[in-house]
Amino acid sequence: MTLLSVSGLNVSINEEVILKDVEFIIDQGEVFGFVGESGSGKSMTALALMNLLPKGSDRTGQIILDGKNLIDLSEREMCSIRGRDIGMIFQEPMTALNPVMTIGNQVAETLIIHGGYSRSEAMTIAREKLARVEMPPNRFSPDLYPHEISGGQRQRVCIALAIALRPKILIADEPTTALDVSTQAQILDLLKLLVKEEQMSLLFITHDLAVIARMADRVAVMQTGRIVEMETTRELFQDMKHDYSKKLFAASNYIPETKTKTGGGSFLEVSDVYRAYKLPNRRILDKQNYNVAIRGVSFSIRKGESLGLVGESGCGKSTLSRTILGLDPLQKGRITVDGVEVISGRKMPHTLRKKMQVVFQDPFGSFNPRHKVGRLVAEPFHLLAESLSASEQRERVVTALLEVGLRETDVDKYIHEFSGGQRQRIAIARAMVIKPDLVILDEAVSALDVSIRAQILDLLNELQVQHNLSYLFISHDLTVVRAVTDRVLVMQGGKIIEEGRTDRIFDHPQHDYTKRLLQASPRIPTEWVTKETNQGYHTGKLSEKEFR
Amino acid sequence: MLHYLLSRIISLLLSLAVASLVIFFVIEIIPGDPASFMLGLNASPETIASLKAELGLDQTPLIRYFDWVSGLVVGDFGISYTYKVPISELVVDRIQVSLPLALYALLLSTAIAFPVGLIAASKRGGTADFGIMGFTQLGIAVPNFWFAMLLVLFFAINLRWFSAGGFSGWDAGFWYGIKSLTLPAIALALTQASILARVMRSALIDTLSQDYIRTARAKGLSQRRVLIKHALRNAMIPVLTILGLQFSFLLAGAIIIENVFFLPGLGRLIFQAIIQRDLIVVESVVMLMVFAVIVVNFLVDLTYAMVDPRLRRSG
Amino acid sequence: MRIPTQLLFGAFLSIFFLVLALVSLIWTPYPVEVLNISEKLKSPEWKYILGTDHFGRDILSMIMIGARTSISVALVAVGIGMLVGVPLGLAAAANRRSIFDDLIMRSNDLVFAFPSLVIAILITAVFGPSAFNAILAIGIFNIPVFARVSRGAALSLWTLEFIMAARVAGKGKTRISVEHILPNIINLLLVQGTIQFSLGILAEAGLSYIGLGAQPPTPSWGRMLADAQTLIYTNPRLAFIPGLAIVAMVLGLNMLGDGLRDYLDPRLRKVRQ
Repeated sequence: MTLLSVSGLNVSINEEVILKDVEFIIDQGEVFGFVGESGSGKSMTALALMNLLPKGSDRTGQIILDGKNLIDLSEREMCSIRGRDIGMIFQEPMTALNPVMTIGNQVAETLIIHGGYSRSEAMTIAREKLARVEMPPNRFSPDLYPHEISGGQRQRVCIALAIALRPKILIADEPTTALDVSTQAQILDLLKLLVKEEQMSLLFITHDLAVIARMADRVAVMQTGRIVEMETTRELFQDMKHDYSKKLFAASNYIPETKTKTGGGSFLEVSDVYRAYKLPNRRILDKQNYNVAIRGVSFSIRKGESLGLVGESGCGKSTLSRTILGLDPLQKGRITVDGVEVISGRKMPHTLRKKMQVVFQDPFGSFNPRHKVGRLVAEPFHLLAESLSASEQRERVVTALLEVGLRETDVDKYIHEFSGGQRQRIAIARAMVIKPDLVILDEAVSALDVSIRAQILDLLNELQVQHNLSYLFISHDLTVVRAVTDRVLVMQGGKIIEEGRTDRIFDHPQHDYTKRLLQASPRIPTEWVTKETNQGYHTGKLSEKEFR
Repeated sequence: MLHYLLSRIISLLLSLAVASLVIFFVIEIIPGDPASFMLGLNASPETIASLKAELGLDQTPLIRYFDWVSGLVVGDFGISYTYKVPISELVVDRIQVSLPLALYALLLSTAIAFPVGLIAASKRGGTADFGIMGFTQLGIAVPNFWFAMLLVLFFAINLRWFSAGGFSGWDAGFWYGIKSLTLPAIALALTQASILARVMRSALIDTLSQDYIRTARAKGLSQRRVLIKHALRNAMIPVLTILGLQFSFLLAGAIIIENVFFLPGLGRLIFQAIIQRDLIVVESVVMLMVFAVIVVNFLVDLTYAMVDPRLRRSG
Repeated sequence: MRIPTQLLFGAFLSIFFLVLALVSLIWTPYPVEVLNISEKLKSPEWKYILGTDHFGRDILSMIMIGARTSISVALVAVGIGMLVGVPLGLAAAANRRSIFDDLIMRSNDLVFAFPSLVIAILITAVFGPSAFNAILAIGIFNIPVFARVSRGAALSLWTLEFIMAARVAGKGKTRISVEHILPNIINLLLVQGTIQFSLGILAEAGLSYIGLGAQPPTPSWGRMLADAQTLIYTNPRLAFIPGLAIVAMVLGLNMLGDGLRDYLDPRLRKVRQ
């Protein structure tokens, strides 16, 4: 039975067209998925349904929920629809809750404002709803404040307040994108269960094809404000029709071209490293507390090798990369690069620093917005023993830019003139400009859309072959790590709990945690992956790429 | 919460200790010999010697400092050189004017600023907002003593609603006292209310762009209800900060305003003490004012914890 | 890009008074040191555009020199605050959570406990009133303001990855502070500087009004208001003119500051996001 029917939905913000002729139907109890890259209009569709579009938006078309056209409703009438008939949860659980209100009150508020419940009744129901999202009052008091619980738990609270009145439809806009894989799996399971038991419909929005494959009954693929393909999930994956869907699918499973690598001796040696942070004293006169971020980590990277480092947030991945780069001191252990010991701080010789560079995740925060690209890329020249002349500098910067696929004229531009993918190329150019031996890629492709990600992976691959680089590839995204690394370290709680060749780890994990991680990581069911849609995935590239 | 309180109290005491040291150093050590400084160039050596003995200047600075501080703690501020009465008596007398004036002004400014800031934020970009922003911009630019003169000219001289200055004490009746403090309080409150209203507005607008506001809207709260129930409390933190700072501005402003209206408050006391070179009065009254500012900021810190649960746990 | 009216208007007012002050260095309609009792309390006319005061001095000339006094006191005071406060704030941010950072922040809090007028009172009580002491008092009060603003802004920049990249390039904290942090907070400092400048004008007026600022015979706006107070019944004009001058100057600076912030900020945001 049709619950929601949208037709001819057009949205523009300040004259700019955001959605064009969007049309879809959601049945009662159905999970309907929206998938697309950033800017495709999937979130705007959700906000258009809720009439919560940003200021200056214009909305036309029909949104029929239960026989009522929501477009015709006044703001006041919409207020009574929101929260009662349509619930919604958002991407960022860390900021989605009011920091000065208890979680119980925030759930109860939904019940109170739609009338019919006294404060104490509402609190009782709020307790039940929190228990419903697996936050029972005996373990999580409703009097807790948002800062006292984790991100996953906050998302549970958001779900609880969205379903408190059993809305007919729940909209989930990238609800797990900000969460770790295992938390993501739990939240997805919970959503599925709730939808089934409460007989709600779910409109699920994500950029991740694997997540949508797991969640949705039917899927709409969006591109630049239009729905380009709409199909039941199984059919979509087995028989993609639209070029864009195919492209998206191929890109999200992309494995860079095969390469032949020259092997080499051990380049980076990390042996039994400990790193602890001083915690700020909570109480006066307390004894100093420490947070041990890395406890006894040892591994090595050979020349020309790609080593993956996976783990969930807080496992010590980033701290490890900082200690290797000599930015953070270590309490115990030894790190050597090409046989020379890394010492943090000023004492670290430039000749050593010059051998290692880093590319970060955030293509926006990685550059000083006030400097031109030429100067940004030239920054590592500081490490060279002899100073270069201006023309030499420029020449080398241009070479680096050309190598990452940018143009000579880009030297004189500012960073805001570039897109996210281009910025990541500039970051790579900056790392490459002094010809390092080891590049640490700290979530370097995590913030990029899949199609851009595929291009950057290609570029990294080319550079590796050309310069015989070693990569330390740090990521939470198991798919990418699987596609591009030779060996993998799995990190948990500051320790490396499993290590081995990439295909071995992914196909035959030994440690329980690794197993759980792989289990939790969303994957497109293998029987849906047909030859045509799967260009190169699972085609044995890993074995060809074998190291040594 | 207890630890937060404890750490705040320790920092309060520390600030007081350092502040008293600074004041003592500036007043008693920098001039070299406070006695001859106070008496001026024409004083005879005998008078200087007797004043020295009277002030206990033959002691070492350390002992003098501890004498002064221990006196302050029990309310013994020493004896004014010009008035020849205990300073504590003067202070008790004068504080009956200054404290009510400061509170009156604070009350006026918050009573005006809160609704005005709220209206401006909720009607952002509208005519009311534009008018409020323009008016407060002007309010900040007007020096309070000049505004005070204009108030006197208009309400006291032309309309004769209020007296032009002076204060006859609370004995004449509460409302009579309030009446003579009204013009000074308005003069003091104008600038503060303007600043507070602007801070309130921008804090509210900042808060309204947060993610949790969107969550609340998705729950079905109306624009107005979101403003009152979610934005207001979160916007209180910057507003409280400014409120705390304003107290010290009110105190300082009062020194000038009391002079415009010839009010016998602490500001006038300290002002006259400077002219008469009565260092002992200056020293103690400055300490008292600094004490008031530090204590008010301490109270603001405590209110933070009441508003923001995130502060309750960490020190 | 269209320059907002607020910015234009603020800049116009500020520049107007600046020019007035600069012109007074080489020329004023009449000398102000000479008292000319026979010409006292003249209403505005062609000869005296703003009239004369009770000593027969030309008010326009007094306003011009008063502008010079105000601007120089406030400007030097803001300069002191910036020159001392900004390096302190940058250093505190670069050494976050160190003892040095703690010390800076604590001393900041302490100075905030002394309103600038109270500092002025302490200084004048010992050294006597003068324009120099007014500068010192306002300047000292400005130090923690700039230290706090630059520390706060610098702290959020230090978490950005381009700072990490600079560290990987082997650059030290001082060099990063100068090369990467400072250029990114200069707009903020400019805006804050304008606002502190206007507060300085107000503070100077207040101090000279109660006789703790520039001493006679140097004309200052606050002093002119103090003199006018006794004549307010008969000659309110004497109180209006300097008061309006202060309001216009402060209003201009505040609008300039706000305008600058609105003008510079969105661009910055576009660059960052």
